[in-house]
Amino acid sequence: MAFSEGYVEADGFRIRYLEAGQGPALVHLHGAGGLRLTRAHDLLSSCFRVVAFEMPGFGESPENTRTSSMPELASTMAQAVTKLGIDAFNLMGTSFGGTTALWLALQAPTRVLALVLEAPAAIRPEGATPPAGTPEEIARRLYAHPERQPATPTLDPALRAKAQRLVQRLRVPDRDPDLEGRLQELTTPTLVLFGTLDQVIAPAMGRIYKELIPNGHLVFVYDAAHAIAADRPEAFTEVVVDFLERHEAFVISRTETLIHP
Amino acid sequence: MKVSFFETARYRSPQPLPPEWPVPSGDYDREAGAHAYEMMIERLQFVEQLGFDWVSVSEHHYSPRILTPAPIVSAAFIAARLSRIKIALLGPIVPHSNPVRVAEELAMLDTLAQGRLVVGLLRGTTNEAMSYDLNPQESRERTDEGMELILKAWTEPQPFGWQGRHFQYRTVSIWPRPLQHPHPPTYALGTSREACEFAARHHLGCGVSYGSFEVMAKATSYYREQCARHGWQPAPEQIIYRANMLVGETDEAAQAMLRKVPGTAPFAMRAGVREAISTLDSRNIAGEARAPNVGGALPTTFVGSPDTVVEQVRRCREVVGAGVLDLSLFPPGSRDVDPLTDALELFGTKVLPRIRDI
Repeated sequence: MAFSEGYVEADGFRIRYLEAGQGPALVHLHGAGGLRLTRAHDLLSSCFRVVAFEMPGFGESPENTRTSSMPELASTMAQAVTKLGIDAFNLMGTSFGGTTALWLALQAPTRVLALVLEAPAAIRPEGATPPAGTPEEIARRLYAHPERQPATPTLDPALRAKAQRLVQRLRVPDRDPDLEGRLQELTTPTLVLFGTLDQVIAPAMGRIYKELIPNGHLVFVYDAAHAIAADRPEAFTEVVVDFLERHEAFVISRTETLIHP
Repeated sequence: MKVSFFETARYRSPQPLPPEWPVPSGDYDREAGAHAYEMMIERLQFVEQLGFDWVSVSEHHYSPRILTPAPIVSAAFIAARLSRIKIALLGPIVPHSNPVRVAEELAMLDTLAQGRLVVGLLRGTTNEAMSYDLNPQESRERTDEGMELILKAWTEPQPFGWQGRHFQYRTVSIWPRPLQHPHPPTYALGTSREACEFAARHHLGCGVSYGSFEVMAKATSYYREQCARHGWQPAPEQIIYRANMLVGETDEAAQAMLRKVPGTAPFAMRAGVREAISTLDSRNIAGEARAPNVGGALPTTFVGSPDTVVEQVRRCREVVGAGVLDLSLFPPGSRDVDPLTDALELFGTKVLPRIRDI
């Protein structure tokens, strides 16, 4: 399904987004590398109205020197969703955007129907380093199978640097006791996914979200690294769609195993 | 050097059986089967007395040759009847299993056996793909994924789902956990580069079988290289070499025994099946392609008098680097049980004490 491009004015920013599909809204907040559509977005758009935002300061948008914290960014994005005429929505966040999504869900619990965190960056092992190096080196670290990813035009180095400055400024500490305390009050059904081959954020972090979030669920995606949806789009989509449709009841299998009638 | 006795249950059929695998179930004799399992326990009590470190069991289906389609059951029964020896499951065939169930059963067994379990995980011999309708072309991937899921099930403290390629679970949370922490000593068995790489990546041991020392060394050195790449070194005890051994009073006596070993393949498939599966079941030794074992008997790499065999063990340790020998002391499926008892006695008294310090 083709994604159409749009812009929305919210909180003093002009925010770009890509949208496709019909049905319940599924808002996606990207990782530190910026907005990049994967095959998973296509698959998800057959069940949901997928709105993938490009957060202010990323891509070709002007440098964002105003946003000074992750909770602020979350509030800006909530306003962007409102401006699209969407009240209640499903929310998915990837890595850096997973932290944003968490804060958004904490701030607007009545609006977020369910939360999906793809390799979220909100809780990290002490002293872990973010991916660095050339785009090729970063790709190798993000993907289990970099050779399967379509060649994307590399972003202008100046644009990349501008986004990196924003990411650095908004980077949360490895562990935040305040956030983790608040997670214990989050009633939103939450699905946390980690790839078994994630070298950016240790998959062992998944259990902490599961421990803290009352209606939290942990799923490991085998043979996927940090970019889960890109590495294994079908596996990722299957469990995400199921979770968004059934929340905690997703543990009840509806897989069909009848071989012949 | 640690020494393990490979127990095959030694079913003695009252009448000759067709050689082709699978062997008809109706040809099974209940009394012979019951007797085989009774003698198994008697034999293992002797094995334990002789001072073997482990007894090992494997998984094979649809045949009298090795009467242990459920190694978990054999191991549990052995663990209940013998109180000192370690029990090595070498091993559950992962690709046609429910890996979560394997993890649970091994956890229970390790606990029931007071932490005496050793685990080897493997892909299985070529014929075993046909036991449970496993597509041989999927077996390598299913094995790798299954092994990883078993390790995860043993160690992940929170309930988790698994979006695999061949396995899918929404919620896994096993009780009990193994008694040994974090889990029993675990090996990826097989000479393939995939098994060696998996073992290196997950800090597991490696097990090789039956080939000559030089050929097995290709796999074990590849394993050690991969471990180094992952920043660690395996202990000798983390390399198992399963082999056939014929010890005689003299070299000539041993050679005479060797000549009497039947040349038939362990699980002989009919020609059409054998040909077809040779192209579908790809195997390798540290990345070098090799044909699947479908024709001919397994080699015997230790043959001779006690002195000769001790020297062979010494050479094996140098060349293969294995710190555990898992031995068949008389051809499995051989209907003669007394020669096995004699072989055990000879090995136990004249060889075992001399190879402990190798």
